[in-house]
Amino acid sequence: MNMVMDSRSLAASQPGAVSLREDQLRLGLWMFLATVTMLFAAFVSAYIVRRSGTDWRQVQLPAMLWVNTLILAVSSVALEAASRSGFRLRWRQAELAMGAALAGGLGFLAGQFVAWREMMAAGIYLPTSPHASFFFVITGAHALHVVAALAVLTWGAVATRSGATDVPAWAARMELCRTFWHYLGAVWLVLFALVSLY
Amino acid sequence: MTNGFVRRYIFSTDHKIIGIQYILTGLIMAIVGAWLAVLIRLQLGWPEHQWVFLSRLLPKGMPSGVMTPEFYLAVVTMHGTIMVFFFISYVLVSGFGNYLVPLQVGARDMAFPFLNMLSYWIALLSAVVMVLSFFVEGGAAAAGWTAYPPLSAVASAVPGSQMGQTLWILSMALFIASFTMSGLNIVATVFSTRAPGLSMMRLPLTVWSFFIASILGLLAFPPLTAGAVMLLFDRHFGTSFFLPSGLVVAGKLLPNTGGSPLLWQHLFWFLGHPEVYVLILPALGIAFDILPAFTRKPVFGYRISVWCLVAVGCLSMIVWGHHMFVSGMSPFTGEYFSLVTLTITVPMTIFGVNMLASLWGAKLELRTPMLFALSVIAMFGSGGFGGLFLGNATADMQLHDTYFVVGHFHMMIGGVTLLATFAAIYFWFPKMFGRTMNETLGRLHFWFTFGPFFVIFFMQHFLGLQGAPRRYYAFTAFDYLRDTRGQNLAISIAALLLVSGQLLFLVNFVWSLFGGLAAKANPWQATTLEWTTASPPPHGNFETQPVVERWAYEYGVQTTDGDFAVQTVPARNVPVTA
Repeated sequence: MNMVMDSRSLAASQPGAVSLREDQLRLGLWMFLATVTMLFAAFVSAYIVRRSGTDWRQVQLPAMLWVNTLILAVSSVALEAASRSGFRLRWRQAELAMGAALAGGLGFLAGQFVAWREMMAAGIYLPTSPHASFFFVITGAHALHVVAALAVLTWGAVATRSGATDVPAWAARMELCRTFWHYLGAVWLVLFALVSLY
Repeated sequence: MTNGFVRRYIFSTDHKIIGIQYILTGLIMAIVGAWLAVLIRLQLGWPEHQWVFLSRLLPKGMPSGVMTPEFYLAVVTMHGTIMVFFFISYVLVSGFGNYLVPLQVGARDMAFPFLNMLSYWIALLSAVVMVLSFFVEGGAAAAGWTAYPPLSAVASAVPGSQMGQTLWILSMALFIASFTMSGLNIVATVFSTRAPGLSMMRLPLTVWSFFIASILGLLAFPPLTAGAVMLLFDRHFGTSFFLPSGLVVAGKLLPNTGGSPLLWQHLFWFLGHPEVYVLILPALGIAFDILPAFTRKPVFGYRISVWCLVAVGCLSMIVWGHHMFVSGMSPFTGEYFSLVTLTITVPMTIFGVNMLASLWGAKLELRTPMLFALSVIAMFGSGGFGGLFLGNATADMQLHDTYFVVGHFHMMIGGVTLLATFAAIYFWFPKMFGRTMNETLGRLHFWFTFGPFFVIFFMQHFLGLQGAPRRYYAFTAFDYLRDTRGQNLAISIAALLLVSGQLLFLVNFVWSLFGGLAAKANPWQATTLEWTTASPPPHGNFETQPVVERWAYEYGVQTTDGDFAVQTVPARNVPVTA
């Protein structure tokens, strides 16, 4: 018996109100991500402009950031795994993977906090250098968005626990979770590259 | 019982109630903004005159009855901020956007009703924070509505740079959050809840204008959030994003180094310029849609007008630098910003000409909404003309920061939007409240609004040509401006006339709310979907799902109802023309 489904066939099996709601939520999320993109685009362009100032001094960024990046990547992979397990109706695996994804998100936040503490311990504060100012402000703004995304992931995790009863609704939630979460992962890669390379 | 009232009228998720909440909040803020305008005009029209009764009302700002320069700066700043963000944005964009979009697309409500309610309450909080900033130590923000650093970034710069400026920034951040939610809702509603048969190219232009304005808001506002965060950090946490080296304020050298005040200007105007289109596009869309109800013929050039709005929307995102020609910008960059700015005149002129052509050969019914809609065209044409001078870097070097600019932008984002707001209120009041506003008072109000408004800001262009700088507390100290005393006096008298004329509106509004004649479902014999349901529409808007058969401008045809066909009239009854 082949139980493999994808979200497209699931959505098609559920015409009417549910798929309209899905469409609206998907649209709403993408528009929200457009505004978030503009927010970070502003930070990035401000960084590039400010970098030409004569007082720009690059500060030493903690190695912890690499660990955090890895944690975030693993969390994204876990979310994908949760989604795939669910589509194969392996709910126990899906729950575990969702748990791992959530734990990864929390771990990332904790890791960022550790990184900030390390910097402050090394005597690098907000006003130390424009590079440090931008680092704290940009990573802080990103962390706030991660907190919001964790709320959405929790909402997806709740659906995964009861996913067996309403698969299309679960699939819809998971799509929103994946979009938001992978998006923030991608934003992090861009920001991390910016603050460490440029 | 109370619970039911609270759910229905206070914490409502119904887009109609939320729209009306926005409109009422915006009108109250307009009274605050108008009061500030009166204070400005009293100072400029009668400098050094002692207004004894005002000294009792404002003991700090006007001790002995003469305004202090610091208070003048705060008043100018707050007048601009309140009128742009808390009056026009709330009433015209959020208010009418909320009220009209679901009705005109044939939906039961917005796509996200709860988010909509949240957006209103954040908007109200933002307005409250802004008004409260008058009462903190140092008074309200005084760095202008553009909040340029270092004035806005250093607490010791002017009294208003203290707590008032911090509250200003927080209030703006709340405003942006609320406006983003509201814009997201409007876009999602237009995309996903249109009635069957209502293709994008059958939408009334009003909906198109809200749709484009919302997309602009979504893309252009977040960068200012980034700017606001950085400004807050400069103010409170010792960073130097915007604060340059060697800055001496109040006799003390600041420790900041290397920051760029120009960076703020870019971030601000990246929001600021699209923002004026966020305001003016709905004004134009509304005026465009009101015209045919009183010309009784289809509009001219609907499709090209839609594409004009789209083009203006796109262009508005890439022209912000024309506010900064004198900032030491490279002449090549200035050339670019001049070119794209003047390019905007092409779609804008086509749009204006389409509105004029819509009048061609028609027998105009000069009811109050029509008078206001017509005056939108007049104001748009006159104000837009000044834009040709300001968009050109060479001319702008001379005119920058003079009253020419003040006159120009008041005509455009003040006049066009104000007149369209009144047109909209008179036109949709019967739908909102089931009652009609008084026509005689309405026409009187029109003449007391359009007349003085035009005089004030037309004259200000000439003050600017004589070199009168904006934001100055008094012109008495300058020989070359001595001759402008009479003009400033005339402007002030016209301003007082304008403000007193608004009492006619307030009386009419409140009186009609309770005692106006009962309105029919379609009092103007108009064609869009909101007129097919009861006045006021029930919760859920429509008894049955409307099915759209035609465009929004089917006038001049023969039906059993008269010379028009609402969008739901089937094609077998009346031929579809578009």
